[in-house]
Amino acid sequence: MIKVTNIGKKVLVADTELTILDALSLNVEAGESLAIVGPSGSGKSTLLGIMAGLDTPTNGTVHIDGQDITAMDEEGRAAVRARHVGFVFQSFHLLPALTALENVALPLELQKGGDAMDIAGSYLQRVGLADRTGHYPRQLSGGEQQRVAVARAFACKPTILFADEPTGNLDSVTGETINDLLFELNREAGTTLVIVTHEHSLASRCSRQLHLKSGLQFTPVTEMSVKC
Amino acid sequence: MLALQILLRNWRGGQLRLVVGALVLAVTVVTSVSLLADRVEKALVSESASFLAADLVLEGNTRIAPDFIERAQATGLRTALMMSFSSMVYHGDDMHLASIKAVESSYPLRGAIRHSDQPFSDDPAAEQTVRTGPPIGEAWADARLLPLLRIELGDSIEFGDSRVKISRVLIEEPDSGSSFSLIGARILMHVEDVETAGVLLPGSRVKHRLLVAESGTGTEQVTAYRAWLEPQLSIHQRLITPDQAQARIAESIDSGRRFLLLAGSVGVVLAGIALALASHQFAIGERLQVGLYKSWGLSGGAIRRLYITYILAIGALGSAMGIALGALIQWLLVWLVRDWMPIDLPPASFRPWITGMATGFLCLLGFMLPAIWHLPDLSAMTVLRQDVPVKSVSTALRGGLGVLTIGLLLLWYSGNVAISMAMLMAFAAIAAAAMGFGLTLLWLGQKVARHLGSIWRLALANLWRRRLQSLIQLLGFSGAIALLMIMAVIRTSLIDDLRLQFDEDTPNHFLYNVASYELQEVEALIEQRALDTSGWFSMVRARIRQINGQDIEAEQLESHESLQRELNLSWAKNLPENNTMTSGNWWSSAPYNAAANPPTLPPLSIEEDLASELGLVIGDRITFSVGGLNFEARLANTRSVSWDDMTPNFYFLFPEGLLEGYPRTHMTSVYIPPSEKLILNDLLRNYPTLQVIELDKIIERVRTIVSQVTRGLEVMTLLILACGILVMFSAVSLSMSERLQESAILRTIGSSQRLILGVQCIEFTTLGVLAGLLAALGAETALLLIEHYLLQLPLTGHGWVWLAGPLSGGLLVGALGVAYSRKAVLLPPLDVLRRL
Repeated sequence: MIKVTNIGKKVLVADTELTILDALSLNVEAGESLAIVGPSGSGKSTLLGIMAGLDTPTNGTVHIDGQDITAMDEEGRAAVRARHVGFVFQSFHLLPALTALENVALPLELQKGGDAMDIAGSYLQRVGLADRTGHYPRQLSGGEQQRVAVARAFACKPTILFADEPTGNLDSVTGETINDLLFELNREAGTTLVIVTHEHSLASRCSRQLHLKSGLQFTPVTEMSVKC
Repeated sequence: MLALQILLRNWRGGQLRLVVGALVLAVTVVTSVSLLADRVEKALVSESASFLAADLVLEGNTRIAPDFIERAQATGLRTALMMSFSSMVYHGDDMHLASIKAVESSYPLRGAIRHSDQPFSDDPAAEQTVRTGPPIGEAWADARLLPLLRIELGDSIEFGDSRVKISRVLIEEPDSGSSFSLIGARILMHVEDVETAGVLLPGSRVKHRLLVAESGTGTEQVTAYRAWLEPQLSIHQRLITPDQAQARIAESIDSGRRFLLLAGSVGVVLAGIALALASHQFAIGERLQVGLYKSWGLSGGAIRRLYITYILAIGALGSAMGIALGALIQWLLVWLVRDWMPIDLPPASFRPWITGMATGFLCLLGFMLPAIWHLPDLSAMTVLRQDVPVKSVSTALRGGLGVLTIGLLLLWYSGNVAISMAMLMAFAAIAAAAMGFGLTLLWLGQKVARHLGSIWRLALANLWRRRLQSLIQLLGFSGAIALLMIMAVIRTSLIDDLRLQFDEDTPNHFLYNVASYELQEVEALIEQRALDTSGWFSMVRARIRQINGQDIEAEQLESHESLQRELNLSWAKNLPENNTMTSGNWWSSAPYNAAANPPTLPPLSIEEDLASELGLVIGDRITFSVGGLNFEARLANTRSVSWDDMTPNFYFLFPEGLLEGYPRTHMTSVYIPPSEKLILNDLLRNYPTLQVIELDKIIERVRTIVSQVTRGLEVMTLLILACGILVMFSAVSLSMSERLQESAILRTIGSSQRLILGVQCIEFTTLGVLAGLLAALGAETALLLIEHYLLQLPLTGHGWVWLAGPLSGGLLVGALGVAYSRKAVLLPPLDVLRRL
């Protein structure tokens, strides 16, 4: 489903070139769940961004569903994201002016989904927030906000879901509920799941874990194991 | 459709309120001012045409050539002939030198004649308004002619070889303000009666007028006729346009109109600044949304289209709201001054509506579009990381676009390059100064604060750390303060200027030709009625006989009317008030000594325009004849005279001790309230040679217009104040989320309320004081330019702006900032953080 080949990412910080990722390769099969773990600053989010086509690598290639997204322009990558990709973020990223229902419906509306509100309503029901559809994000708890975000991600029926520290801003009990939800929905929809996390419990629920060592060390995919 | 939906949701969320608020305000200000200015201008044109009774008048002292009349009629213009002159009228043994105005039946071409069937009556029921002159054989006369000739309405009077019946009392004709008719009771009659009477002989002093007006309301035919006529005029003929007919009303309305335009321009600039700041803020708030759009697979192009639709929708909605509000405010302004309105304002043309709509879209293009232009190019990584660099359109480019937009708006709106340039230069001065000076002050502030208490240190260090934001805020605050100060100064000086000329007790009647033996009695009568005079002035009637020893020749005589008639000479010890010497020297206050040895010619002072028309220079000798007795004087100085102040003024002034021996008459100006108006009857009946010039109606008319203009100015000032406050709000809210976040963190680690509010208070007050200083600099620059070039007022510094600027800036911005940041200490820190 996702094939990352020999990618590197370098950025310029105050005139100094900083290597964030170097010669990294990995494969994620369809329906597989992969956890990318590693200390802060190890480049997990950058890797996630590149795999999802939000960012481009300095070198190397990324294929999604057989298409080389690194050879595409931004328009092409946007089209791939629209077709295949969904996101759940650490800080939820709900739009404050929109109700829970509108937040879930917005990406559907942008993709010209005819019955966006109905679909959004059913997903909110699925995540247990049927009675909170008219609430604004500030009226919801952190756990509830993340449930809205999960509903929003799945409502678009992505083939791959990227989650960036989905429970990072939540307490362990609430986090566990979100994790349950994430894996349940994932199982139902048969989505490929790529999660960046610090959480052992979450990583251990994935079918595969990849440890990105702090700094720039590249660990061959085959040797990867949970080390944190 | 989706863009509209998103727009509505964003509106609900509040992100758009400042943007739409600023836009609506800009359109409101522009629409209301344009509508008002347009209607007032139209009214002014038609009103001044009625002051002239025509759209154009050809005046001369010879009969109007028939081909001039034929040409006018052939091009579809309406015409009326008019002759005015002084002539004796008789009834039995009584006689009076009346001002005759003879007109064709088509007179007046503009405006109307008011007449009454009751002399000296205030009863409106007795009044009639007509649009044609008197029929042949009838005349309408000033009420005061009746006691002068001891006649009743319906009696006939002798006039040359014929008789005319005085059938109505003439109250007012449209062009009654023209100077000729001010002396002697006015009689309006048909031109045929003048021909029959045979009073006009070769050499008679008659003013011939051809009145011309369009059949409709346009100006094209009159303009074309004027172009055809002008080259054919002799030196004895001149054209009079409505503007010249009532220069004072035109001036005061024009001042008002200029102020409205200035106020509108200030409003546009302020609203523009507010919109730019609000858009900047809006763009920051949109980053997450754009990041999400991108992560959901929306392309940059699609996002750009979304935002363009969004802007168009905001433009259409905001402009429509602004236009509606502007029309409402304009209606309110007109309603407020309805009692003072001398005339109904005609409906506005389509231009102000277009101006309003164009303002809305131009503001969005110039201020909002550059602020959000970079959004579609934002990296999709924004959703994962906060530190993704944002490549927004450079501040310099945005500033340039903003200035260009403001410049375009000002130019389109005022049609006046001077006004636009002055405002732009002020804006540029403030912007440049804010950048350089402001940065220096902020740097100095944080240096100095190192030696001060912790609150000061923290506050001033914060300002320096956020220096880009601080600079933008400085720009917004100083722009608002400067523009408000400019408005205050211009408004005050204009209103003072207008009011000065029209005090309640401005003399409204001139009493003239009072003989020396009557003076005491007339004075006593006036005193008895407790009326105030401007003091009594003596004058001697004389003719100019020679200039520099040379007789006035026939050709010279033709060249200026003052050489053809008797002139009023007066004397003064000191230069009269409201007169200014323009050349030469004033004489010593000692009386002229005719017996001095060696004998010297008496000095003479002449009004400067007359002196130059007669070609006189200092040192010229002029010989006057008073009733056959000649004396010579030397031109010692020239004066400019303020004819507007309604006190007696003289073209010719001598020192004391020269003219007292000649037969003299006396004059004064006096304020006669309407309730005391009948005193004129007593005066005219008892002193038949006394003459009255009645200016009360004209002054009253001017005063109503001035007060109307003044009220308009007051309301406009309030509207502009609203714009200024909006700018302040936009600027304060610019850094608020960051400030609240920091305050919440400080609260979390246990900082006191005093520290947090203290820091905010010092930060905002310092910003306000600095902005006030910069504003004073900008305001002073702009005021000098505007006063000098636009309002032609004398150049004076405005010391108070240097105090008022920093003071008001510190207080206003400080208060606004603290009020805004109170949330940070009133709500639990977590709540604050969650709301951000």
